[in-house]
Amino acid sequence: MHIPDGFLSTPVWLTMNAISVPAVGVLARRAHSQLDDSRIPLLGVMGAFVFAAQMINFPVGAGTSGHLVGGALLACTLGPAAATVVMTAILAVQALVFQDGGVLSLGANVLNMAVLGVLAGYLPYHFWGAGRLRKFSFFAGGVLSVLVSAALTLSQLLISGIPMRTGVLAISAGLFLISALLEGLITVAVMGALEKLNPNWIHKPMSDGRLGMGLLASAAVLLAVVGVVVASAAPDGLESLAEQIGLADKATVLFSTPLADYEANFLNSDWLRKAAAGMAGLMLIFGVCILCGRMISRRGSA
Amino acid sequence: MHHVVLDRWSRRTSPLHRRDARAKILAALALLVSIATTDAGVLPMLAAYGAIVAAGFLAARLPLFQAATRAGVVLPFSIAMALVSWVSGDPARAASVVVKSYLSASIVLLLIATTPLTELLSGAEKLGAPRVVTLVVQFLYRYLFVISEQVQHMLQAARCRSGSGNSGTRRRFQAAAGALAVLFSKSYIRAEGIHNAMLARGFRGRLPAIRTQRFEWADFGFLLAALIAAAATGLALRGAA
Repeated sequence: MHIPDGFLSTPVWLTMNAISVPAVGVLARRAHSQLDDSRIPLLGVMGAFVFAAQMINFPVGAGTSGHLVGGALLACTLGPAAATVVMTAILAVQALVFQDGGVLSLGANVLNMAVLGVLAGYLPYHFWGAGRLRKFSFFAGGVLSVLVSAALTLSQLLISGIPMRTGVLAISAGLFLISALLEGLITVAVMGALEKLNPNWIHKPMSDGRLGMGLLASAAVLLAVVGVVVASAAPDGLESLAEQIGLADKATVLFSTPLADYEANFLNSDWLRKAAAGMAGLMLIFGVCILCGRMISRRGSA
Repeated sequence: MHHVVLDRWSRRTSPLHRRDARAKILAALALLVSIATTDAGVLPMLAAYGAIVAAGFLAARLPLFQAATRAGVVLPFSIAMALVSWVSGDPARAASVVVKSYLSASIVLLLIATTPLTELLSGAEKLGAPRVVTLVVQFLYRYLFVISEQVQHMLQAARCRSGSGNSGTRRRFQAAAGALAVLFSKSYIRAEGIHNAMLARGFRGRLPAIRTQRFEWADFGFLLAALIAAAATGLALRGAA
């Protein structure tokens, strides 16, 4: 699910690059300060590992199979900042050498998979990694990482004006859910095997297994994911709700009275509404992840 | 294989190969932006930008037809997405998406086929990309083939032991997870070995460049020409539409 060039509308890819370039810069600096130089070859080789690992098929049944995506696995072994750097490098190589994903849309792909996907994949492990729910946290991380990446990709395409019927949307949402569950199962199985081989390869979780915070954070991410897709698929939904309640008339009056016709038209433009709805959702996810990142880093420095 | 051919192409010599990586990166970005922001018909887009890309491949003395088919790797995904928008009732959008993604991919192909990855990355670094990321990309690309080969060996060994025989899905799933964990451990240990070998050879946190690059007047001229071509094509197509 790497977005090629030509799919995203200009405001969307510009915004995504504007968000993901500084985000990767900050995380790269963090990764660099946490690791000594000896780990840099490790990060590169781990990127090659994720590439190669996609050749190993996991049977799902009914003759189909899936493969590892790797965001959560990398986050739980190398730590979230280093995992972001590795995923960014993977996406860059795929875009440049294999023409898998575009260069202008690299910012969007990096944000979806390397930044927010990895952070969402790390979230459950951060809260539950040391407690009784350790195994479940691997599973939840795999599921969340794929769900977040897929939902963001889908909503960026929708905001860019790629039309999708509700049926198509439902089918792709179903497929994403299945692949998210599969990623969760793969992550938990591989992490279990890795733990038996050498527990030192696994990143130490910072917290002592607080159930409530983890649930809250995971629920917030899930809610934001659903919200982003719904908002970008049907920004008119909010409006019809408002209409039913009877807010719409008041709102139009409120909007159009102080503004001249020109501005009112501007506000009414379909594209702007879609974009605004999508952006708001995206900001929500970004905010959640930033907050969690803050908490992680504070815990790390304490 | 795809990347091996690209590697060979990027090591040839031509006026385009000799240009500084920074000039080529900026030129490619300008063309990509021009394509992304232009919404003309399918045929004018294909003709105008196709001519620019074709001129680039000819100047680089690379086989045009092979390059054109190679850039087609984006088509399966684009066409699938285009079908989705077609079904949803927007055929014009569908066609434009296919053409734009194909043209963009061929420009990236031209960039990578005329610039060895090491030069491209050091150029990107000079343009401000974080060094950790460019270093990791370099290591990734170097060891991609090594680790891929290791996977092939492991899969073949598993087949020889009839590991993927007629056991149940659950067992095979567990076996695949075990194989992945083993691959992880092998990669981890290999990375430690690589770092020791690099230290023994005097590594100080920066990979040496094979060829020093200097931004010359020719690079400046090339960049200027590319910027003008990108802007003029975009404006002309907008005027025609």
